[in-house]
Amino acid sequence: MVLRIRLARFGNKHNPFFNIVVAQARSARGAKPLEVIGTYNPIPKRPTNLYDENTETRPYKEIALDRSRAKYWLGVGAQPSDPVWKLMSMAGLVAPKPTTFHKA
Amino acid sequence: MRNRATNTLSKGKIRQSWSKYNLYNMQRFRSPPTINRTFFQQKWSAKAASRAYHGEQVREGQWKRMFNHRIRSVIPMNASDLAADDGSQASSGRGSGLDMGGKPAYQKRPTPYTQMTFAPLERRLDVAIFRALFASSARQARQFVIHGAVTVNGQKMKHPSYLLNPGDLFQVEPERVMYATGHTKTAYERRQGRLVRRKAKAQTSEEEVEAESKETAEEETKETAEEEAKETAEEEAKETEKEDPKETLKALMAQAKSIMSAGKDTLAPQRKQELRGFQQAVRRVLSRSESSTVLADSLEAQFSQLTLLLKAKRAEKKPDNKDVKLRPEDAFASDKGDRELAAARKDTETAVSDKLSEAFSQATLGNEVDASELSDEEFETLKRALTQMRDNPLDNSKTYSTPWQPRQYMSAFAFIPRYLEVNQNICAAVYLRHPVARPGSAEVPTPFGETIATPAYGWYLRRRW
Amino acid sequence: MPPRMQSRSVSNTLLPYLTATSSSSLSSIPSLSSSSSQCLSRQFSATAAPQAQTKLRRQMFEWLNTEGAVFKHHVPGETNYLTRLKQRGPETSSDASRPFPNNSSFISEPILSEELRNEVYHRVVEQKMSLRAVSVHLGIDMKRIAAVVRLVELEKRQRAQGKPLALPYARAIHEMVPTTPLAQQGERQEYHEPINDLPAHPLTGSQIFYPVPESRSFTRVEAGRVFSGAPAMEHSEAAEISHPSDLAEKIIEDPNSIAWVGKGANARQILQPADVRIPHPHMVALERDRLAHPNERLAVSEKQSKRLKRQDAIEKERRERLQARREKKLTVVSPEDSRFDYRIKDTIYTPETTGADGRGSKAVGRRYGVPHRDRTRGEIKIPTRVEA
Repeated sequence: MVLRIRLARFGNKHNPFFNIVVAQARSARGAKPLEVIGTYNPIPKRPTNLYDENTETRPYKEIALDRSRAKYWLGVGAQPSDPVWKLMSMAGLVAPKPTTFHKA
Repeated sequence: MRNRATNTLSKGKIRQSWSKYNLYNMQRFRSPPTINRTFFQQKWSAKAASRAYHGEQVREGQWKRMFNHRIRSVIPMNASDLAADDGSQASSGRGSGLDMGGKPAYQKRPTPYTQMTFAPLERRLDVAIFRALFASSARQARQFVIHGAVTVNGQKMKHPSYLLNPGDLFQVEPERVMYATGHTKTAYERRQGRLVRRKAKAQTSEEEVEAESKETAEEETKETAEEEAKETAEEEAKETEKEDPKETLKALMAQAKSIMSAGKDTLAPQRKQELRGFQQAVRRVLSRSESSTVLADSLEAQFSQLTLLLKAKRAEKKPDNKDVKLRPEDAFASDKGDRELAAARKDTETAVSDKLSEAFSQATLGNEVDASELSDEEFETLKRALTQMRDNPLDNSKTYSTPWQPRQYMSAFAFIPRYLEVNQNICAAVYLRHPVARPGSAEVPTPFGETIATPAYGWYLRRRW
Repeated sequence: MPPRMQSRSVSNTLLPYLTATSSSSLSSIPSLSSSSSQCLSRQFSATAAPQAQTKLRRQMFEWLNTEGAVFKHHVPGETNYLTRLKQRGPETSSDASRPFPNNSSFISEPILSEELRNEVYHRVVEQKMSLRAVSVHLGIDMKRIAAVVRLVELEKRQRAQGKPLALPYARAIHEMVPTTPLAQQGERQEYHEPINDLPAHPLTGSQIFYPVPESRSFTRVEAGRVFSGAPAMEHSEAAEISHPSDLAEKIIEDPNSIAWVGKGANARQILQPADVRIPHPHMVALERDRLAHPNERLAVSEKQSKRLKRQDAIEKERRERLQARREKKLTVVSPEDSRFDYRIKDTIYTPETTGADGRGSKAVGRRYGVPHRDRTRGEIKIPTRVEA
């Protein structure tokens, strides 16, 4: 059985929110995972114009991640899914995948 | 939600509104009689009266969940009193404190706790907007929230029932606030507004069709010049005058000139409109000057007052003049030259505005008196008048009557409670803390006295009383 | 908003005619064979002039044109409240600031004038004075000062961005509402509001019978212990505290030094005396020094400034530590090929956070096996807070 680190969708209609979970690869998306190691909010938050530093910043997306657990699960062979790979590469836990441009 | 917040005269209920009906109802309101009425009846009528004012847009069940019998209060402490006594005096003797010859200071005035019955409702966003004087009624405030004109902490908030937390900053669009608190437009102004909009639409479509090579700004100035030459419509000037003081001046002078020159053949409503706009300007000048018997009603009286004022000042200070007889037209031309210059080199704003005020005075005095150089004081006055004119221009495309003036009967309702800190310029306010009672005063604004507040509080206590 | 009366004189003069037609049409109701034009006129007249309303309306407009005419426009610099009508005889200042004639306990308090607001901003932002110092100098609550700084900053930014402002509105409000002006050069600044407000603690609401030996002095510190149900202090401990304000210094240095009583969910911190809980405890210390050394003004003020400096430093250090901890937990990544920044926050997954069954409320992420109550009646679905 393969362990995967993947996203599990929560939230409502038009309002997605993801848990970053460690689960058996063949288990259902909404099933109870082995562990929840983080969250990902794909809805960007906009700067509010309330503070000076806010005006220059770009909209941001929020990720919460338990780095030590993520490292552990990667160490025992859990395979991140593509979206999680992207998030983890931003957190510096895995090397970023090379971008592919040569699609026919 | 049906709007039950009508100000019917037969019911005589007091609402959170600045309407004159409400003012009249508030003025004639009497506490319901208690004689020959059961305790239940007294509580019922007190509840009914106070709920018509406090959160009538909130369902009863919702309010009952919000109600809290515990009421926030503070006691202002005096540092020197605290330093002088460690509290042992109050407990010494036989437990009721040493006889100090009179009661201690904090017991002098009772704290009006029951006036704070509806304090939880003051946390609501719509009520807070009304309390900050950003809307003319709680219902209107509610509409602003629903229509997306309100932000809380910089994010759009569309729930009127959002309960503000201490430190929350809420902001309403200034245009909405000006609309809510300003005078409504007359039928004539509405029509003018429609014309302006139609013209703007036509203009934009025209531009789309023809001119790619031309710069739009150039075109606009050209057009306005043409208009001036014709001296028919001021709408163009009004359109462009929003930002630029020079444009404001231009419109103002055009107004002044047309008022001076126009005979009987001008259309009555148009003339009225011109007069009104100019009256505002003159009133502003007068209200800022020292010898103000302000708000003289007729335009003629105001105008003569202004002339007198200027004449008197000139008599005080003999002018050593360079440019003597400037007809209004000349002043206009010179101002135009100035404008181009200023556009070329945007350096000191003050110098420009000085010239502007001079030109303004010339325009106002027109053909009656020869305009000559003004004293510093006059410059100051006129400069202020001009800046006010710039801030408050005549613009028929707005949703409210321009120049902006507060709506009638507004002042009777104008107060800002202490738990809000408001910045009117940007129409933003901070909800500092929850309202509190203190000895002698309660921070929840309510038109009812103790005789209504206490039974209403008792009603919501239910069996806890 | 009620409909605006465009031409009230017209409607009033038309009144007799309208009522006359209504009565005639009423008489024609029984005859069903009336023409359609009559029907129309009946409907129109029936809605236009109900008898009881018009009398009330007439009275209202009478009032608005006579007594109420003063409220139509404001006089700059004065309040214009209903109370001025009720007040026959000499008008006192408190009456002029009461908007509601029936409610004597609500006062329209002054707001900060534009100049005072800018002065606050100037002192805090440009002169880098502490909020505490500005609050004491100008007599403005610290929360208000923080809010003013925020608002003025926002205003400056909006001006710079060329956003629309409501300047005539602001001027009108400042003419209608009482304001606290900024003192002229050399004058003493008028205090805006009381700055040492002590919030009444819920624990002090109960009536407690507590016998104390007469030989022992019962101070505010001990009263606080009684209210919170803590045992009385040891004699030696009580002897150390010469005055309740001694505690203030200790607690500012270490807020965790306040002892707890009770167990589990009932655990609470011991209620502290007023000297600690007021916003400016240092003012009590200053007054005590003044009482103790009435002839050494210079030394006392020096001691006070030292004390303030020390407390400010402690406060600043604490704030910085908090900030650093928050920043350490947060990394911001801004990838080149994305329109967005990513803020990665550290969380902790342990049995303590998730609980024995994995459903702990402190656990990271949305929880499993817990019913969604977002559609239940009475459940709050709107946000309860907005992050700044």
